Amino acid sequence: MTVMRDQVVRQLVQVEAKANDNGLIPAFNVLVNQLPCTFWNTVAERMMAITPPDRKTAMETALVNCAYECGYHTGYGIITSPEFESAVMPMVTEGAKDVLRGAYAVFTAWGWAKSGIVQIKEGESMTIRAVDYYEADSGGEGRRAYMIRGVSAAFMELAYAAPYPNGMNTFKSDQVRGIEAGDQFGEFAVSKK
Amino acid sequence: MQRPKSVIPPEMVEGLQGSLATTNIVDLLQFLNASGKTGELVLTQPAEGREARVYLVKGNLVHVVSASLAGMEALVAILGWTSGAFHFYESVLSPKNTMLLPTQQALMEAIRIQDERAKNGQLGHKATSERSSDMPQGSRTSTDVLEELLKVPGVTAAVVVGRDGFVIESAGGGAALSLDDLGAALANAINGIEEMGTELKVSKFQDLFVEYGRAVIMCRPIGDAIIAVTAPDASKLGIIRHKAKPLIDDLANFF
Repeated sequence: MTVMRDQVVRQLVQVEAKANDNGLIPAFNVLVNQLPCTFWNTVAERMMAITPPDRKTAMETALVNCAYECGYHTGYGIITSPEFESAVMPMVTEGAKDVLRGAYAVFTAWGWAKSGIVQIKEGESMTIRAVDYYEADSGGEGRRAYMIRGVSAAFMELAYAAPYPNGMNTFKSDQVRGIEAGDQFGEFAVSKK
Repeated sequence: MQRPKSVIPPEMVEGLQGSLATTNIVDLLQFLNASGKTGELVLTQPAEGREARVYLVKGNLVHVVSASLAGMEALVAILGWTSGAFHFYESVLSPKNTMLLPTQQALMEAIRIQDERAKNGQLGHKATSERSSDMPQGSRTSTDVLEELLKVPGVTAAVVVGRDGFVIESAGGGAALSLDDLGAALANAINGIEEMGTELKVSKFQDLFVEYGRAVIMCRPIGDAIIAVTAPDASKLGIIRHKAKPLIDDLANFF
């Protein structure tokens, strides 16, 4: 037995996503907002557009880091939440690898990116593919799935680096393919720094 | 009835004949099986000084002999022949009966044994030589390999699924096929099968064939994922398995 995505998704869609007075949805030990995808895409698009050519790489790194920081802390909240405990943990038989599978199932169920693990070398590297993700609809040039890229490095650290909160800056993530760049799918290579 | 004497020039001998470079033995045997032929298939590799004889009765394999090998061992040996010539002599009767399985099953078993030996290195050179392309791994993507798999006659779709049911990649199938549902169903089925294997304390799952009427789904582990190949005609499973094998071996490098 391993984590079955369809079962995780089926259980998670039953979770009530109701915002509190501040417009935030408390679920999975974290507070989630509900903003249109175009909002996030526009933020990244404009940030890149106003950045001079010689600073674009630095801006790209900054955008990836936003997702990475968020993914590390939010990801920890998610995998230690009662919801994850009841929906995913009963199916975990392969340790960290299964926790990662569960994390990507949650990622998919919440509509961030329909993504999953292609290949994993435990504690060493991981390849992620995303077949549908909101950043694929963003404007701009080149590969620009900053969110999945950052979050993938964070998830890998939560699974294999030093225990939270000391595992940061252990892994890096590169985007090797992107729907937004004309590929069939997005692909992300996570490896040790 | 005796096979025509060698004094008759080959070009004058009637019957099915040709080169093993343009067809392969599995194709040939499946054709003779489907045609319900009775006779002797003679395979020759003059350069290597090798000869093999395969006997069929009403399409059923009854005897295979090659050098000192007979029966299943001989069948496994000749599956690797990719050059030489063949000639089918109709109505020649078999001197022996060394094949105990029905033809399709015998072919599948021979391919399975061949796979096993290739994995153990005994036929490693063959697996390489049978690749449809010598493109280096570095420039070849899993998408390329899946597209090649789709060109195997009889294959209508190929899907690579993670152990968790994530559909990693697919080719063919058309819009009618719900890949997500197929991925989830496959992963759940394989999980059940692996649990059964664990309970029975047998080795890890290697192949799964599911027949639905005439259609068949063939599944095999590739790295940490599973490949599922769908074919609407189960009678072609032997040849599909044979031709798909090197491609599936290639795919295992990606997942």
